Amino acid sequence: MKNALKLCASAAVCLMAATAPATLAQQADIQTPSPWNPDYEPPRMADGTPDFTGVWSKASITTIERSAQFDDLVVPPEIAQNAEEMRSRLFAERRTDPEEGAPPAGQNVGGYNAFWLDPGSNIGVVNGEYRSSWIVEPADGRLPYSEAGRAEMEAAVDAAWNNYDDPEVRSAAERCTVGYGSTGTPPMLNVLYNNHVQFYQTPEQVTILVEMNHNARIIRMNADHRAPELRQWLGDSVGHWDGDTLVVETTNFHPDISQRSSQAQRFYLQPDTLVEERFTRVADDTIFYEYTVTDPDIFTQPWRAEMPLWRAEGPIFEYACHEGNYSLPGILAGARREEAMAQSDNAGGGQ
Amino acid sequence: MFNTTGKLTLAAIGAASTAALIAGAAYAHHAFAAEFDGDAPVLLEGTVTRVEWVNPHTWIHIDVVDEETGSTQPWMVEGGTPNTLLRAGLNRRTLSPGTELVVRGYQSIDRLCAPACKANGRDVTFPNGEQMFVGSSGTGAPDDGADPTE
Repeated sequence: MKNALKLCASAAVCLMAATAPATLAQQADIQTPSPWNPDYEPPRMADGTPDFTGVWSKASITTIERSAQFDDLVVPPEIAQNAEEMRSRLFAERRTDPEEGAPPAGQNVGGYNAFWLDPGSNIGVVNGEYRSSWIVEPADGRLPYSEAGRAEMEAAVDAAWNNYDDPEVRSAAERCTVGYGSTGTPPMLNVLYNNHVQFYQTPEQVTILVEMNHNARIIRMNADHRAPELRQWLGDSVGHWDGDTLVVETTNFHPDISQRSSQAQRFYLQPDTLVEERFTRVADDTIFYEYTVTDPDIFTQPWRAEMPLWRAEGPIFEYACHEGNYSLPGILAGARREEAMAQSDNAGGGQ
Repeated sequence: MFNTTGKLTLAAIGAASTAALIAGAAYAHHAFAAEFDGDAPVLLEGTVTRVEWVNPHTWIHIDVVDEETGSTQPWMVEGGTPNTLLRAGLNRRTLSPGTELVVRGYQSIDRLCAPACKANGRDVTFPNGEQMFVGSSGTGAPDDGADPTE
């Protein structure tokens, strides 16, 4: 089984072979999620606006972009539920053998035990539909980079991941300023862990505290954007109500947060990118989270995405990233060691 | 609707989500490949001395005794983030000093060993083969501590 599962991690056919019995056993349990009730009446604040306060989660195995395995946005329930089951079994059946010895050299070092990750286990459901991507426009579910935008993105990724000169050139996540993968910066995407957000609400402002890195985004209601000379990590957010929908417009991002790539996508925005978010309570346990991203310098068209935020249990403890960030000095020290080794090799070769 | 037959499509979906997690394991708060050396695999059998319950990641400190020389080398092994561990029902007292562990991972590129050598905890088990932790479905975490990326 071990070898089969090793192959399963990279080969679809073996994955099917390892999990086919469970797939068949699940057929009788398929349930179709219910669409949201269009007449849902949300709880309200004293001023009459819908109450968004509390803790919510964006954990899901659906990602912003659609993978090549899917042709369509909507995933049939039997496919979605079987895929969730298969994924669960894939993790559950893999066992660690303490007699196995050290792992082989020359491999990707991987992370820590998968248990320590918390990306969610379910495919995202929007209005009764399992979704293969958060992006709904363009229809292919892919980020519509222009040629120039893609080149800019790739250059930013290369600079972020291959420059070890000093702390300032490392990513915002490694520097403990803002979480990786656009987890806290609008648009707020799901990542491998710490996917929670908490809403605080007054008539004058709505604040979204994002778990990683414990950043509070203060949305000033019915206000104008500040001057672009003041660029904040999470951008400058202003909001207004469109009926029962909270509409938030954000721009003036800090330039060091442009590169937002993570495990699931190569994601790049720039300081002047415009992000419009729309939050609507559609059920006691769900916020419908929509966003439109406009940047003609990067994308061939504005693109739009839809995702759910799920009611979650609190509290959110402070992700005090600076508390024990051994990673950043370790990464820089590792680069210095490799440079010293290279110099030593060069000196030896010249003799 | 889909570009393959039903069964193969199911497999492809599972493989796709797995592939995302494989890549994700290599890039979380930091790029693991930037900190740890893929050419320096380690197998550590040692005893827990303390757990640093800190953000952005916990560190498990173990003493590893060299069987030939009898000397002790402290190691610190990187673990998950405290918030995620708390949601899974764990806390700083879950691993008590004296607990024996087997760690398979990779040493840090910097090779610094003061106050302890560093490694990532790619696989962490008890000597009898049990997983270090048992997962909880309520967290959305996988069912056990195995890393399916191998």
